[in-house]
Amino acid sequence: MSRRSSELLHHLVRAVILTGFAGLMFNLMVSGDMLLYIAPHLMIYAQLATAFLVIATGFQYYIAVASMKRKVVVCNCDHEHGHNHSHDSDHNDSSRSSWRSSAVYVVFIVPLLFGAFLPNDALAGSLAQKKGMNLGRAAMVGKPSSADFVEIDGDEDPALKEQFKTNVYNKDYAKLGMLLYKQDLIEMKDDWFIEKLQALNTFVNNFQGKQIRISGFVYREEGLTGTQFIIGRMAMTHCIADISPYGIIAESLDAEQYANDTWITVTGTIGQAIYHEQTVIKLNIESIEPASPAKIPYVYPDWNFAAKL
Amino acid sequence: MSNIAVNKKQQKSYANLAAIVCLAFIAAMYFLSNHAPATILNNPKLQIFKTIFLSIIMETMPFLWIGVFISALLHVFVSDQAMKKMIPKNPVLGILTASVLGIVFPLCECGMVPAIRRLINKGMPLYVATTFILVGPILNPIVFWSTFTAFRGRPEIAYGRMGLAFAVALAVGLIIYRFVHTNQLRVQVHAHGHSAVNQHDHEHHSHENKLVAVMGHAISEFFDMGKFIVFGAFLVGMLQTFVSQDNLVSLGQGQGSANALMMGLGFILSLCSTSDAFVAQSFVTTFSTGSLIAFMVFGPMMNLKGLLMMSAVFKTRFVLLLSALVVVLVYAGTLLLQYFFLK
Repeated sequence: MSRRSSELLHHLVRAVILTGFAGLMFNLMVSGDMLLYIAPHLMIYAQLATAFLVIATGFQYYIAVASMKRKVVVCNCDHEHGHNHSHDSDHNDSSRSSWRSSAVYVVFIVPLLFGAFLPNDALAGSLAQKKGMNLGRAAMVGKPSSADFVEIDGDEDPALKEQFKTNVYNKDYAKLGMLLYKQDLIEMKDDWFIEKLQALNTFVNNFQGKQIRISGFVYREEGLTGTQFIIGRMAMTHCIADISPYGIIAESLDAEQYANDTWITVTGTIGQAIYHEQTVIKLNIESIEPASPAKIPYVYPDWNFAAKL
Repeated sequence: MSNIAVNKKQQKSYANLAAIVCLAFIAAMYFLSNHAPATILNNPKLQIFKTIFLSIIMETMPFLWIGVFISALLHVFVSDQAMKKMIPKNPVLGILTASVLGIVFPLCECGMVPAIRRLINKGMPLYVATTFILVGPILNPIVFWSTFTAFRGRPEIAYGRMGLAFAVALAVGLIIYRFVHTNQLRVQVHAHGHSAVNQHDHEHHSHENKLVAVMGHAISEFFDMGKFIVFGAFLVGMLQTFVSQDNLVSLGQGQGSANALMMGLGFILSLCSTSDAFVAQSFVTTFSTGSLIAFMVFGPMMNLKGLLMMSAVFKTRFVLLLSALVVVLVYAGTLLLQYFFLK
């Protein structure tokens, strides 16, 4: 194979791969399936990447065409080795090394094949097994003395403020907790799912007996009794790689009839349970309805929820 | 000359390894699918793998492009002389500047590595570049804010993370300044387009094709770096699909072993430094504060994806040295932190 035609081939292969990536990303953007891979606040970057890819693809075709006419459009060198690079060695193994460099392109074709031939599906609760379920966290470690506790500002009922006294750093959860406390039915919707869960678990005692409704997938793990399962949601910060499951323990006598990964909506009252040596809220089930997951079944942490309260 | 040949071989062997692993995987898929085509495509493990694999690539793609564009622009528009003038002569000053550079340019490592390679080529000292690679992904406002928010009740975690990252990068920078003096760049040899015929094109970029030059370099570097990201995403996807985080977690709960374990987890997960705080938060009940900081400092500095990218830039021996330094310093650092500050 002559040097010129091998170079043309090499440029064309690159052009085709870039076309593939541009097509894959464009397709995911248009169909909205991109949200199955990355969080909404990264969509702007994904759009940027798609634009880069489309532009780069155009240039790569131009470079390929131009390389037919002229010898070279872009030198692919760094200055570093440009000077001590001898030509005869390059000639000797040029055909072999061009084979080798084309083997690299296989690496790029793998994700394109995956993208083209496998469906874009949301990950179900089965992944939670690998990740470990979160039922809220220890908001206060080391149990600070009550002197460290502060009441939050604002013109709320003083009795309520006394009830939601906490340390300085949990004030935002106290505020959210008071908001939830005043609701007749606490609905765990997609917005602030994690934040609400944290608020409930920070003030477990205050919420005993309150009505709550939650939708999610059924998940089971060791340590739960036969009448218990966890209703979970997957939380994504950036992309699937950092996904973590969050959930609430739910209890019902006919719990066993609900298979893992089925989506249900549960209404009930809040109780408490011990999970990994920590007191967490528990849902005593009153009614269960089948539910279907949203097309994008993920919830996202809101870094700035306190400012929106 | 012999030196170049050796490097060339190393570079190729990495690429070949990556290609072979991928080919083997495809072959395995092909043969398995001969038996039952429908079951293999619907296999939940395959679906999980594919989603993680593509997700990491999609997430990285924009930052990789930003990195290669910066690199290409530097290559075409900034001369080596101009670059040299911008770098402080004093090594300590240089290292300190590099440490705080991340505050001004909050780039993650996917965008940083290509830009750094260009900067070293243009005369940035190795110790400055190394410091920046290590600390840049951590010591920046976005990461501080996300860590602070994730550990709302425990601000000492955010401060500990920033402080330890700074200290480790500073120490590594100084050690490299003192002991490493030779060029550690893996010399890039491109198998094509380099012969006596085009030697003259090489010296300059004429005015009208500067745009093409920038795009050409950016694309070229996209492929150069991209193969490591794709391969890294492949490995991370495999590990996350087949290795259970829960089992790993149960391995180490002791004082020292937990720190090492969380460092390993950070290495495998290869998360972005802006999102790892929320993952660390999910371990707060099972792991000590020190080990969480180990996770959040070691992960962004050394991880599977980043290590592969670094091996595209630096010689293997240097990458090994750097990894060893970071492992030791982060581990020791978290133990000290635990002992003195996180009672």
